[in-house]
Amino acid sequence: MIEPLKTVPISFKVNGRPVSLEVGAGETALHAIRERLQLTGAKEGCGIGECGACTILVNAKAVNACLMLAAQMDGTSIRTVEGLAGGGSIHPLQKAFLDHHAVQCGFCTPGLLMSAAALLKEHPCPDRRTIADGLSGNLCRCTGYRQIFQAVEAVAQGEKEKTQ
Amino acid sequence: MRSDVRYVRPSSLGEAVGFLSDHGPETKPLAGGTDLLISIRSGELKARYVMDVNRIPELKGIAMTGEGLSIGAGTTIAEIASSETVKRLAPVLRKSCLSFGSPQVRNAATIGGNIANASPSADTFPPLIVHETIAVLSGPDGERRIPVEEAAAGPYKSNVGSRELIVRFILKPSEGRFFEFLKIGRRKTLAIARVSMAVLAEKDMRGAVGFIRFCLGSSTPVPCRIVEVEDFLTGKILNEAVVAEGGRLAAEKMIEISGRRSTTVYKEPAVKGLFNRLLYPMVKND
Ligand SMILES: Cc1cc2nc3c(=O)[nH]c(=O)nc-3n(C[C@H](O)[C@H](O)[C@H](O)COP(=O)(O)OP(=O)(O)OC[C@H]3O[C@@H](n4cnc5c(N)ncnc54)[C@H](O)[C@@H]3O)c2cc1C
Ligand code: FES
Ligand code: FES
Repeated sequence: MIEPLKTVPISFKVNGRPVSLEVGAGETALHAIRERLQLTGAKEGCGIGECGACTILVNAKAVNACLMLAAQMDGTSIRTVEGLAGGGSIHPLQKAFLDHHAVQCGFCTPGLLMSAAALLKEHPCPDRRTIADGLSGNLCRCTGYRQIFQAVEAVAQGEKEKTQ
Repeated sequence: MRSDVRYVRPSSLGEAVGFLSDHGPETKPLAGGTDLLISIRSGELKARYVMDVNRIPELKGIAMTGEGLSIGAGTTIAEIASSETVKRLAPVLRKSCLSFGSPQVRNAATIGGNIANASPSADTFPPLIVHETIAVLSGPDGERRIPVEEAAAGPYKSNVGSRELIVRFILKPSEGRFFEFLKIGRRKTLAIARVSMAVLAEKDMRGAVGFIRFCLGSSTPVPCRIVEVEDFLTGKILNEAVVAEGGRLAAEKMIEISGRRSTTVYKEPAVKGLFNRLLYPMVKND
């Protein structure tokens, strides 16, 4: 694509489903996901990479969708919080967040779930410190984080028991 | 959000440099976007074209070559942090990448963007400087090589021309030496460094300092190697008094370069204190 474009045609996968869109050259990935695809799980908290409310997975890696152009999604595989649940049941992390009261206002939750999902993929049995590091790009103004760490630990523990 | 900007995505270095030779002054390269998206959002970005350099294979990869340790400008901070080659040959660079931003920022941000952005507190700058790194640039007239400390002209002012791209960095590998990178920020994660420093050192057979490279970050307009500190420590057996004197010299040099400012009251003792922490393990090991 060496022709400069004002609107950019892109094709990529969202939660396993192929999509094609026309996006503005200066449009963020977060804007395209929320406004064009109507996937409003990812939130804009700060818009400058500080809060993590916009966290999505791009090719299985957690990134801030507010710091990415929509055009950069072309050819990638995107996962949003809407893609966590599957087969008629919620994801173990979602269940653990509920069980451990890790959700209060819920604004941070979609981003935290995606960071936690990426973390557990890389470290299936993380210790508390690894969990804290893995979630350090996500701010929560309500819970004080303890319940969130406990929820992630519970899922990791569950995984450990399954493999034993 | 800007509506008049145009997006262009070259798929090779040749294509990219071709575009820049026609439109360089109106173009901003986009790598991880962790600095650039902020200026797009605020409306500060004046460029007509945003050139996505993420699909240029020549900007990727970490490899030991005949020239040294080569790290592509488009390598992400997370890729550097998890590279076994970097862990072995440039562990001080790895250390700076482990505490960089947040996991999300590390997955997107690149080392080329960190240097091209020319922030005085760019975390990979001091480690690259102590590795005596060469930045390989590519432009309409071919390749240009500069010492990495010359990549920044001043705070947020790059010496990389508007028709050039940083292609890669070549580091002098350093295996088995003492190394350290430390930074002080307002908090642990997501804090821009207020003082940072990197060191590579080795003792000779007598136990005196036989080799040392020291760089100060965030405290001067451009991160800089402080040769006076290196010269002072070379040949000396490190004890607490010698290290304290080195820290005093580093702080003195910082004030000489930056001038006395409102922040000096904080930075002068911070530089001295951090310098002690930086080299203390070398004292202790005796
Ligand atoms: C929340 C947050 C936390 C951060 N924490 C840190 C931190 O701890 N330490 C730190 O040092 N920085 C930090 N930063 C700043 C930023 O992440 C880094 O400077 C990063 O390395 C920039 O790289 P990028 O690939 O995202 O660059 P971009 O934003 O894509 O580009 C930055 C600049 O470099 C230019 N550029 C990019 N690639 C090239 C190239 N190959 N050749 C020529 N020019 C090029 C661009 O045109 C632009 O001017 C943080 C930023 C955010 C938002
Ligand atoms: S909205 Fe993206 S990090 Fe806050
Ligand atoms: S639950 Fe409200 S911000 Fe986290």
